[in-house]
Amino acid sequence: MKNFGHLLVKEIKELVNKQLIISLAMMILIFSFIGNVTKKEMKKAIAKQKIAVLDLDQSELSRNLIGTLNMANFIIDEQSGEKEQVIKQLQTTELGLLVVIPAGFSREVSNLKPAEVETYSYLRGISLSGTRSSEVVRAVLNTTNDFLSNQYLKKRLPDINPAEIKTPIKNREFILVKDRMAEGSSAAVIGTLYAQSYILPIILMMIIMYSSQMVITAIAMEKQNKTLETLLTVPISRQAIAMAKMLAAGLVGLLSAAIYLYGFQMAFSFPTEELSSATGGGVALILKQLGLTINTQGYILFGLSLFLAILCALSIATILGVLAEDYRTAQSLNIPLVFLILVPYFISLFADINTMSLPAKILVLAIPFSHPFFAMQNMMFGHMNMFWLGLVYNFIFVTVMLIWTARIFATDRVLTMKLKWGKKKVVL
Amino acid sequence: MTPVLEVEGLKKNYGQLQALKGISFKVDQGEIFGLIGPNGAGKTTTLRIIATLLTPSAGRVTFLGFDLKKNPEKFREKISYLPEEAGAYRNMRGQDYLEFMAKFYASNQEEIKEYVSRGQQISDLGVRLRDKVGTYSKGMTRKLLLGRALMTKPALAILDEPTSGLDVINSLEVRETIKSFVKQGISVLLSSHNMLEVEFLSDRVALIDRGQILDAGTPQELKEKYQAPNLEIVFKSSVRSSL
Repeated sequence: MKNFGHLLVKEIKELVNKQLIISLAMMILIFSFIGNVTKKEMKKAIAKQKIAVLDLDQSELSRNLIGTLNMANFIIDEQSGEKEQVIKQLQTTELGLLVVIPAGFSREVSNLKPAEVETYSYLRGISLSGTRSSEVVRAVLNTTNDFLSNQYLKKRLPDINPAEIKTPIKNREFILVKDRMAEGSSAAVIGTLYAQSYILPIILMMIIMYSSQMVITAIAMEKQNKTLETLLTVPISRQAIAMAKMLAAGLVGLLSAAIYLYGFQMAFSFPTEELSSATGGGVALILKQLGLTINTQGYILFGLSLFLAILCALSIATILGVLAEDYRTAQSLNIPLVFLILVPYFISLFADINTMSLPAKILVLAIPFSHPFFAMQNMMFGHMNMFWLGLVYNFIFVTVMLIWTARIFATDRVLTMKLKWGKKKVVL
Repeated sequence: MTPVLEVEGLKKNYGQLQALKGISFKVDQGEIFGLIGPNGAGKTTTLRIIATLLTPSAGRVTFLGFDLKKNPEKFREKISYLPEEAGAYRNMRGQDYLEFMAKFYASNQEEIKEYVSRGQQISDLGVRLRDKVGTYSKGMTRKLLLGRALMTKPALAILDEPTSGLDVINSLEVRETIKSFVKQGISVLLSSHNMLEVEFLSDRVALIDRGQILDAGTPQELKEKYQAPNLEIVFKSSVRSSL
């Protein structure tokens, strides 16, 4: 045990080298920069939009329309003068949209004829703020149309509330999960669940990928630097050597993934205070009613599933590391493993495992890393059989792989095992 | 003399290739035993089996009464192996490397200090021990590794081409170090294709070729037997007579 701890410290020191520290620090800096820029852009997007309005009609109705736009989250910058001159003037400002209410606007509305407003969008780039202009136009038009249709209806049917005519059907939406039911918007529930869990597959992918890459590299570097033979003759069990490498890679992989995740969150997390909507509290209650929340026991089970998947990755990577002759071969050998990790990652983001065909489902679930990706979903939606099967499958997989790894390390295969690409070259 | 190591009928196959065809020899306590032969003769395979790196296909190896197949861990506690193309951890300082290796063998802090101090003395790298191994020349690394191999005073030091990569001066120093350590009771099993080096160092030698021991004895006995001035001629004559 004393020697194991001693070896573990050495393995961690080997992995946490200058290159790793610099790359992680650089990554934090880059993500922090991206985060600042993105958040500024998002704040701009969420904030009240400033638009220019040129009222050439100057009627009571046009004033009312401007008032409505003002109430509908727009800051109005009123313009005056000739249309062409105003269009030209605004080129030099930061305003992105000009709404022109033409002369005769109120007359057309009074005669119940389709009225026109003109919108001019100023495109100054293809950034997030630039692409927002179409959304602003749509929002302005919706507000205007709503305003105008209300005017028409009030004139024709003065005793009826225009809202009742425009939306005669009132929808009460209910959501069912297994035997539980709650009233609320399914879109809001799915949106909230997705927002809460979108980060999870990224964490899983990073931890598994980092850990496996580190253990492959650690073993390959021992071979490349010709230190493995000496290490294998010191008085410590071969299993302890393999375990120290796996544990060190797991710990450093976990740390690297945590730092990456921190950076990732800095860069891409939504500014929740600004985004919090009226539905927030309601959706939380609906999730609770539907049992779509995870309790402490659930988190422990998820942790177990993740732990087994990491062990699977580490054991496969250890064997691949034994096959590698040097650092370069190790990088190539890691590629198939990365692909195996990416499969459940993308499926968990873009598809529903439960609606996939049986052969496809079997193929995906045969990958041991798949199970933690679907563990949360399985627990929340009551697919506990799937969850337990995944856990048992991974346990068996890990046991077999660890026995195999221990056998390889206990014999001379740790030195002689090599991957043969094609036929052997004959050297004369 | 009590043999510390006994090798009987050792065979090793790599698939169809028979690397060792049943070799036998003994190494006595405080003796330097040399295996000499050309490249591919089976020297390194023999040493790697005794160092517990490879498993034999047949035969028996006993060390201080322990059987290799049953107690490889007992071998690892008492032997020290210096591979021909060994390296050290490039990110470690020379001193840290010696300490790292010493900790595997020592049972307390005093022993660690003792081993490291001896390692420093043998490697003779002075202040360069404070530098990272990655900055060392091949010769310096070799001296550090020799220091590591001998610092624990193993019952048996297995040295594969101990002066490989060293210049003439360093080679002479290393040979002297090995000789002086044997006087302290250490047994050495070494291999080399430099027959003059083996002749200088070894108490007894075995001539090995194509996985077989052709002959064994003290350098003087062999020279007399084959009426040769040195071991190179002895080897040539023994190969001829074995054909």
